[in-house]
Amino acid sequence: MTAQARSAGQPIVTAGGRAMTRGLGHWRRRVLIALVWLYAAFLILAPLAALVRGALAQGVGAPIAALSQPDVRGAFLLTLQTALVSVAVHAVFGTLVAWVLVRQYFRGQRWLSALIDLPFAVSAVVVGYMLLLIFGRNGLLGPWLSRLGIQIAFAWPGMLLATLFVTLPFMIRELMPLLEALGREPEQAAATLGANGWQTFWLVTFPALRWGFLYGLALTLARALGEFGAVLIIGGGIQGRTETATVFIYRALDERQYVGAYSAALLLGLVSLGLVVGIDYLRRRYEQP
Amino acid sequence: MTKLLPRWLLLAVSLVLAVSCSGPAGSAGTASSVSGADEPIRLILGAYTTPREAYGQLIPLFQAAWKAETGQDVVFEESYLGSGAQSRAVVEGFEADVVALSLEADIIRIVNAGLITHDWHAAPYNGMVSNSIVTFGVRAGNPENIQDWTDVARPGLEVLTPNPQTSGGAMWNILSLYGAALRGYVDGVPAGNQAAAQSFLEAVLANVTVMDKGARESITNYEQGVGEVIITYENEILVGQQSGQTYELVIPRSSILIENPVAVVDSSVDRHGTRAVAEAFVDFLFTSQAQTIFADHGLRTPDAAVAAATAARYPPIADLFTIEYFGGWEQATGDFFSESGLYSRAISAVQGP
Repeated sequence: MTAQARSAGQPIVTAGGRAMTRGLGHWRRRVLIALVWLYAAFLILAPLAALVRGALAQGVGAPIAALSQPDVRGAFLLTLQTALVSVAVHAVFGTLVAWVLVRQYFRGQRWLSALIDLPFAVSAVVVGYMLLLIFGRNGLLGPWLSRLGIQIAFAWPGMLLATLFVTLPFMIRELMPLLEALGREPEQAAATLGANGWQTFWLVTFPALRWGFLYGLALTLARALGEFGAVLIIGGGIQGRTETATVFIYRALDERQYVGAYSAALLLGLVSLGLVVGIDYLRRRYEQP
Repeated sequence: MTKLLPRWLLLAVSLVLAVSCSGPAGSAGTASSVSGADEPIRLILGAYTTPREAYGQLIPLFQAAWKAETGQDVVFEESYLGSGAQSRAVVEGFEADVVALSLEADIIRIVNAGLITHDWHAAPYNGMVSNSIVTFGVRAGNPENIQDWTDVARPGLEVLTPNPQTSGGAMWNILSLYGAALRGYVDGVPAGNQAAAQSFLEAVLANVTVMDKGARESITNYEQGVGEVIITYENEILVGQQSGQTYELVIPRSSILIENPVAVVDSSVDRHGTRAVAEAFVDFLFTSQAQTIFADHGLRTPDAAVAAATAARYPPIADLFTIEYFGGWEQATGDFFSESGLYSRAISAVQGP
């Protein structure tokens, strides 16, 4: 029995699969799937495999030893700290901005909404320089801040601002369509039944946004963990002080500490992979309730 | 179901708080000026990319010496960027206590910003802590048979040199190759013929495949197999070889003498209360102990006694000229790297309008 005949005799379960078999011949479908696998393997799996090979080049113990160096632990802690604070800020303010943009009507609303997308379009390196133009010694606020003894550029506050900037749109863009889909009626109904604003938000609006909210958190976290250009420029890459995990990788490559660089990259990659899998799960949860 | 999320949130928020409070950056925003004898003092070093292995050995020695002398621990925070980028970062507000850069022009920028106010030239050797020359790195066995500057302009050769906008090493490379041509050390370029020297500069730039931000990135790219020849500091090749790389060093007949300055940044040390330790560190770098360590990491030394002891490793070259050949750094920066400078014109001629 040929492969073609065998697969033709089997019912194909998924809706997408059925549409495919109807539209394309069996062999064409297989070629197409193989092509997609090759494409993914070339772009994603090959670099990942190279990373694993590089990290394990000197045995299994080497990456663990490299990652437990104090400077590497410090870099990862700084990354985690910056990312978690960014997530917390956007959890609150992202939700607020999304709600205001969808539920309120005001002058300049479209402009504001377009501005939210700016971080998608601006290169992270440019973000770093923009912050330097504001907070650097010769920047707009530089002389004033330095008189007050507040250091933002080349310190953690500047790196946090940079990370907040690049992660700004994720939460807002995730919540806005959900708020629009929900409409005003449930909120109005709750108000009619005597709920105050806070009760309406927690008992009616937020439950409808729940999965989108978590999805937004995960995306924000993933983006914040991987940020490099902006934090390098505004932070200056000072070892033990403004060096994040990605900046450490950059330095380790310069120092020919290849095992350290690959291990750190692999760890970041695995965390991102975990987030992607989690995000995928969340998306399915809220798309098919 | 509605109660699920607040609990989730509570967990997330407490995690954030826990990490934020325990992290090293929690206090990073404020500059500490405490310098009691039993508390460790923090010294920030802003350096260019290539002497990092030397500093990796020098810093522990200084820490031990300072501890023995004063009973105080010194914690170093190090940053390594391209010399130009590092210098601009300091001007923009990176409060390095000590800067160790590739070239004097990058110190002058900090002086002009008003952040270095003492006479940094008063240190030994005019404040130049190490020397080097511009050399070529070639693949094992020198398959392209690169012997001197003339060969680097051979059409089709793949050459690496960093970007002079960010890298001090790149500026030395450009000045060295132009100077070698103008001084009659390039075939087909008569000595003193500026037009021919400019064509030679364009011919080499046409061969450049990657322009990295700093000399170190340039050579690690070369190690990944990019390019056939790299123009770089002699010390970069020697340090690379020490780490097991198989490329070879080719020394041209003519090179500029690279002089790397070091200086205390007055505004930073006054703010941090670190002047004493910063000055002691700079003084330490000029001792023959420190100079020997620089020599062990591929750098030539201005110290005559150490130079004599390491002469076997650092052959003299036929035609060594200094930045004074171009009238000093302020003159050279304008003549070569300003918008209408010789380099800028050459690179736009090569890259097209």
